[in-house]
Amino acid sequence: MAPKSTGKNIEAETVLQAVVLADSFNERFNPITLDMPRCLLPLCNTPLIEYTLEFLAVAGVQEVYLFCREHSEKVKNYVKTSKWNRSYSPFKIITIVTPEARSVGDALRELDSKQLINSDFILISGDVVSNIHLKQVLDAHRARKNTDKNAIMTMVVKEASPFHRSRALGESSIFVLDGKSQECVHYESVELYPRKRRMVMDMQVFEKHSDVQIRNDLIDCQIDICSVEVPALFTENFDYQDIRKDFVYGILTSDLLGKTIYCHMVKDAYAARVRSLQTYDAISKDILSRWTYPIVPDSNLQEGDSYEYMRGQIYKEQDVSLSRSCVLGEKVLIGAGTEIAENVKITNSVIGRRVSIGPNVTIDGAYIWDGVTINANCSISRSILTNNVVLEENVIVNKGCLLTYDVIIGPNITLPPYTKLTSHKQTSENDDGDISEEDESGNQKAASFDISNLSLTDNESSASVISDGSSEEESDFDGPTTLEVFSKEVTQTLERAFSEGHTVEIASLELNTLRMASNTTFHDTRTVVIPTIFGQINTDKLLPSTKDVLSRWGLLIGKLVHSKADQIDALFILQECCAKSEIHNKTFAPSLRILYEIDVIEEDAILEWYYDERSKGGVVKHEAYSKLRDAIGFPNECDQEPISQRVGFYLTSLETIIKTEEGNQRQVSLLKNYRQTIGVAGAFNVSVIQAFNASHKVSVGAQIENISNGSISVRRKRTISQYNEHVTSSMPKKRNKKDYDIRDTDGSMSDDGLPPVS
Amino acid sequence: MTGSRDLTAQIESLINRLRRRQVVGSWSVSLETALLFRQVVSVTRWSQVGTLIKLVKDVGRRLVMAQPRELAVGNIVRRVLRLIRDVYNSEVSSNSVKSVPQKGGRLYELQSYGGSNSFMEILNFLTHSFSHLKPSIISELQEMINELENMYVNIADQAMEHIHSNEIIMTVGKSRTVEMFLKAAAKKRKFSVVVAETSPTYLGHEMALSLSQAGIDTTVISDSAIFAVMSRVNKVIMGTHAVLANGGLISVSGAQMVATAAKHHSTPVVVCTGLYKLSPLYPYDEDSFNDMVAPDSVMRFDEGDLIDKVTLINPYYDYVSPELVSLFITNTGGHPPSYLYRLIDENYDPEDTDI
Repeated sequence: MAPKSTGKNIEAETVLQAVVLADSFNERFNPITLDMPRCLLPLCNTPLIEYTLEFLAVAGVQEVYLFCREHSEKVKNYVKTSKWNRSYSPFKIITIVTPEARSVGDALRELDSKQLINSDFILISGDVVSNIHLKQVLDAHRARKNTDKNAIMTMVVKEASPFHRSRALGESSIFVLDGKSQECVHYESVELYPRKRRMVMDMQVFEKHSDVQIRNDLIDCQIDICSVEVPALFTENFDYQDIRKDFVYGILTSDLLGKTIYCHMVKDAYAARVRSLQTYDAISKDILSRWTYPIVPDSNLQEGDSYEYMRGQIYKEQDVSLSRSCVLGEKVLIGAGTEIAENVKITNSVIGRRVSIGPNVTIDGAYIWDGVTINANCSISRSILTNNVVLEENVIVNKGCLLTYDVIIGPNITLPPYTKLTSHKQTSENDDGDISEEDESGNQKAASFDISNLSLTDNESSASVISDGSSEEESDFDGPTTLEVFSKEVTQTLERAFSEGHTVEIASLELNTLRMASNTTFHDTRTVVIPTIFGQINTDKLLPSTKDVLSRWGLLIGKLVHSKADQIDALFILQECCAKSEIHNKTFAPSLRILYEIDVIEEDAILEWYYDERSKGGVVKHEAYSKLRDAIGFPNECDQEPISQRVGFYLTSLETIIKTEEGNQRQVSLLKNYRQTIGVAGAFNVSVIQAFNASHKVSVGAQIENISNGSISVRRKRTISQYNEHVTSSMPKKRNKKDYDIRDTDGSMSDDGLPPVS
Repeated sequence: MTGSRDLTAQIESLINRLRRRQVVGSWSVSLETALLFRQVVSVTRWSQVGTLIKLVKDVGRRLVMAQPRELAVGNIVRRVLRLIRDVYNSEVSSNSVKSVPQKGGRLYELQSYGGSNSFMEILNFLTHSFSHLKPSIISELQEMINELENMYVNIADQAMEHIHSNEIIMTVGKSRTVEMFLKAAAKKRKFSVVVAETSPTYLGHEMALSLSQAGIDTTVISDSAIFAVMSRVNKVIMGTHAVLANGGLISVSGAQMVATAAKHHSTPVVVCTGLYKLSPLYPYDEDSFNDMVAPDSVMRFDEGDLIDKVTLINPYYDYVSPELVSLFITNTGGHPPSYLYRLIDENYDPEDTDI
């Protein structure tokens, strides 16, 4: 490839190269993609990658670099045995395995380091279905490069409408174009969640371009004509991951680079990407209704295919046995070796090869892959049944189900809508074989239940599976406030710090950077940081874990706390965080203790918090709040007696009061004493007792309230020894205080639960 | 060996180009196919005619499978086969007069063809080396290719017999044959042409442009006006994609309407076609050789909601039944539809109808 003397010669002699990204870099198609890479999934009984390669072959590409990551062996084998590897193949195909690539950016950096590209190339993902004449696009790109030296990329987009079925919901994007030159002046990705309510554009855009179009009706087909600089730009900007979200956005917003990106609008040809199950469904329909002509089943893309078109958009391969009484409706594709029994009704469906369908089965809008067996009286609607699924008799598969390889169901089972089934064991530590889906958005609730050795995951919210679509579009999400974004980032930063074992200094530095970047207050940071740190506490080994976590990360809270007011604020957050669940209730006191020990929270702050009315909590959470508040007992001057002991004694004494048989009679006198005590030294609050024992709470609490007229003033301390004496003396029966295990009665606080005070 | 590898590559390339519709149009398809078969016959080594026929059939089958809608591919394959058989038969008959009965007309020996060939003949056919026939087969093939290349001129030469002065001719779609035919006539005669615009492809627009550039008085009418205008038309001249064994046409969509309107007004319908478009296949239903293309031109893809709810079918071709056609003008002269059986018999061997 030595450069020739004149520029024109190079143009004429260079081979047309294409880079195919055969990995999706996401998990949209889980759990199907656990066994099979996305690019080999059958779309209308033809592996997805065939459509892309066919498209490139039509475009006259001479060299194809195929990047694959997961299941790379399968992709390699497929390519090796396919017609593309024969001597007469229109292009040379080179498979590159990049197991460490996590994104498009990584793949392109790899490409750059290998120095494989020597001219403009086509960047395409391995799941594109298109009949565009790419030659025109290439010519237009080259012509543009001659006039605009900074043009580095042409994105091919297809005109559609905002809610078009072939537009991937949640992965669509807004293109801001110059009306005349089709230059892309701004790009904004639109995700389903969090929903964007506004976008920010540079004012310069309007100064530079007189005619600006903001378009939300384009299908981004992810077919890009890139110049040689593109992989290099990815290497320079090592944080670019996504070609659109990062690269295009980055290039367009960068003041320094001055590169331009253009769009090529396709009007009368077809192009779309199989990005999600929703688009899988839509594109299958587009193929069956021949929008993709000449890429239609009856052009028999693969060797050995023998599809024929029949009236009513029915495609049937040779060697299909249809019974007399079966009814094939519109848009049906049936692969070879399939047997269909009596009274079967099939509409809008794709049936694979060697499928056996029993009598009285109804199938509507389903995608049934190879080797599936469906026994009598089943009903399937708008679902995907992958290879070798077996449905026993009377199984009803409702819309949006996804049954992956070798799953056997039935007999007599009705699957609820949006069920995903797999025979895989989950790879993580979960031991009972449940599969729970993690969509990228992560906003889904998953409930699992077992049916005959299988596990299902109900997956309501990610209803991307062949649902009507309309409902999703209308569902309203709250706009992402900067605070939400910030808190998400803080959480991620912390999680990284936890998992990678950063030092507190580094974590604090990162947090500060984030805080300043998003212009939020220390309070906001604390509201996120404290619960996140608490989230690290292992609930099985509550107290030791609390100690570990806080002694390690408590200082981080300290870094966020500067004044007494901050400390009090931190305490409230801590309280709120602990009030949320029973388990965390128990950690409140110990954590407060540790924070005190490591000098994060000072005594004054604790006292002030304690006496603050808010610490008793609002109406709703009153109980939980006060419980927490009281669990700490009275954080008086920490002198000779350790708090734990004092609290312990105090609780024990109260316990005694309540537990005593004669308690009720004695209570009066006892409480009188009590009142005196309180009157004199009154360091306690009524709700101590409330929190103490549910059964006695009301009576005791009420009595005390009677005595104290509902408001017990807290004035001064009283030494524990005096108090202790008082309690023991008033006890009717001598009982050793050590006999009490306070946790038995309530569990909210325990003497021995506290770490020893040094 | 490199020759045969080249050949495989050529075959595969044609198959792929046919499938991807990179070669379209009956004429270019036929020419490519014929050139490929010339290559097949000359490059491959064969000594028995049986081997050669099998080879040609195999390649032909794959080409036909690649694009079953292009009937011209199959026609050329059949022509090649017939040509090989003819060369072989004339060779055999000149060598041993007694073993092969003189060929009068093929039609009358239909029965004897399959059954009563003598044992010797079959043996001959299978074992005797006929590799010396290669040059004559190739020259025959070359003749066929020349015929294909001169097709348009041959047809256009007959224009003067069919188009008279001051006639009004209607045509539909865009056909190179018709275009050349009309242009040839326009050199000497003055007539006007009415072109139906032929939606949704609007090929009529291109046709009209081309004709008016040649100085022919041309009028474009919308398809809905065809019936109204027909009463004033003297003759309908149209091209076709293929002619079937019964004389029916596979022609651009809209042709059926034009032909029916012409029938109503008793206007003669003249079809200009090369013989290579004549197929020995019968249409068993109206869809059988049709091609459904993308519905883009009927309704735009961006009408997203609607395309979900309706089924759009956009047939590229129409089937025009033989009763509606008055005359075929081929490169061998004008023939009525009823005579097509004879042409088929002359051009194809009945054994090759199924490739």
